[in-house]
Amino acid sequence: MVQDEVLTVRGLRKRYRGRRGVQANDGIDLDVRAGQVVGLLGHNGAGKTTLVNQVVGLVLPDEGTIVLDGIDAVARPGQARARTSIQAQANVPITGLTPRLAIELVGRLRGGERSAVRARAGELIEALDLSPWADTRAEKVSGGIARLTAFAMTVVQPGRLVVLDEPTNDVDPVRRRLLWQQIRRLADEGAGVLLVTHNVREAERVVDRLAILDHGVVLAADTPAGLTASRQGTLTVELDLLPGATVTWPDGVLARGSSRMREAASVPAEDAAEVVRWAQRQVQQGAIERYSLVPASLEDVYVDLVEAERHDAPAEEVAA
Amino acid sequence: MTAVRQTLLLAQWQFRRQSTFLPLLVVVQVFIAVATVVGYGLLVGDPPPEVALYLATGAPTITLITVGLVMTPQLLAQSKTEGSLDWMRTLPVPRGLFLASDLLVWTVLALPGMVLGVLVGAARFDIELSIAPWLVPATLLVSMTAAAVGYALASVLPPPLANLVTQMLVFVVLLFSPVSYPAERMPTWLQQVHEWAPIEPMAQLVRAGLAQDAFSISGRSLLVLVVWCLVATGAAALALRRRV
Repeated sequence: MVQDEVLTVRGLRKRYRGRRGVQANDGIDLDVRAGQVVGLLGHNGAGKTTLVNQVVGLVLPDEGTIVLDGIDAVARPGQARARTSIQAQANVPITGLTPRLAIELVGRLRGGERSAVRARAGELIEALDLSPWADTRAEKVSGGIARLTAFAMTVVQPGRLVVLDEPTNDVDPVRRRLLWQQIRRLADEGAGVLLVTHNVREAERVVDRLAILDHGVVLAADTPAGLTASRQGTLTVELDLLPGATVTWPDGVLARGSSRMREAASVPAEDAAEVVRWAQRQVQQGAIERYSLVPASLEDVYVDLVEAERHDAPAEEVAA
Repeated sequence: MTAVRQTLLLAQWQFRRQSTFLPLLVVVQVFIAVATVVGYGLLVGDPPPEVALYLATGAPTITLITVGLVMTPQLLAQSKTEGSLDWMRTLPVPRGLFLASDLLVWTVLALPGMVLGVLVGAARFDIELSIAPWLVPATLLVSMTAAAVGYALASVLPPPLANLVTQMLVFVVLLFSPVSYPAERMPTWLQQVHEWAPIEPMAQLVRAGLAQDAFSISGRSLLVLVVWCLVATGAAALALRRRV
């Protein structure tokens, strides 16, 4: 039987002790299947790194189970590591090596055969457009190139589960596209990919499922379409104000926040035409500089979920 | 077989990462070994043959101990600070192999200094050595124990503290240990401390291996050394395996 589930996490809890103990994971459930890219969204301190460290046996959970490719990862961390490859958020220091050498050495450390690893390393260098830097000493390459090298080191000999923590940080827009292609390809070739990121807009196009993590719990997990379903039929209007101007939204428009000289609101799709006419009038009257109308994005859903959680937070802290 | 392969690959990784400083490290090792022989020679003037033999056969131990007890923890402290240790720990490599590969790297680095120290000592004081057949395994035991103690130290202590402690240890090894002079010159209490510490047995073992006609090592000393080796290796392996 083909093991379809690559990672199954249930009821995972971890509290860091110390004077100000932190409940980093507070009952996490998460699934990653073979062939899937699962995005894990969450702001700083949401518990993402703790989750990842428990999967590879660097941190011991207080409670809960982690099954990785049929292995109990809590009881057998060594076997779990053999099935996982990880790109951590911090860059791997490779001073003294060249990107190509680092990629090849890691591939062989992970059990790859020399010539196969060499071929695969060359392929990744080509695919990520790293060739100009591949044989340059690491102390001379930029942050983005180092980040891509770390990615290639992770996937040169990929495990059943590949964990990528913010792989696009520091990477230029052109190579970022190439990187997303490689991430998608990893899953298409059968790995389960857990992608930790802040970059909701770009991840949206690659992930099969998304889990939103906040305060150590998964607030929602679904396909991108499933997560935005509640806001289908809703559009977002964004206004750039002129200095000194204020706006009063027409009826039926729900203000969603404002910052200096910018306003946003959501509009039911059927009223959109009317709102566009209203906004055009505002432009003519000199109240706003320009406006735009966009479909509700995952980013909006993410912010909504986390903000809803924030409002409940004080009560929760009292309870804790 | 996989374990050997992985150890060699890890060693290669460490080696190449240090490649810029490798020549310098070897030079420093050689310098320490030679300085011990020549410098102590200056301190004691023109030493009688027994003292000279003591000095010349103590120098290689100093080299081995400084590498294990000082260089190894400093490298580990550095890899903790720069984050490479955390990354390495995510690799599917048995934890003990990190220790094994570091030991390998540092032992190889210590060798030129050690050999040159012996040669310079023999030439400077015009002494004759009588090498025991078991010198190589004995050297490995000494080097491994020193490195394992250093590794355990750096695993337990936060990096800045580990660096300070190792620097202090250099002085203890150079001046307050019966390596380059006989234990009888030390106060009684310090002699008693050294009966249980690993440094004296290390010196005795290397000395007996280099000049087996003049020196020997007691079964008790050897036992103390082996126990230190086992406990320190175990502690270091445990620290590597620990999950917070």
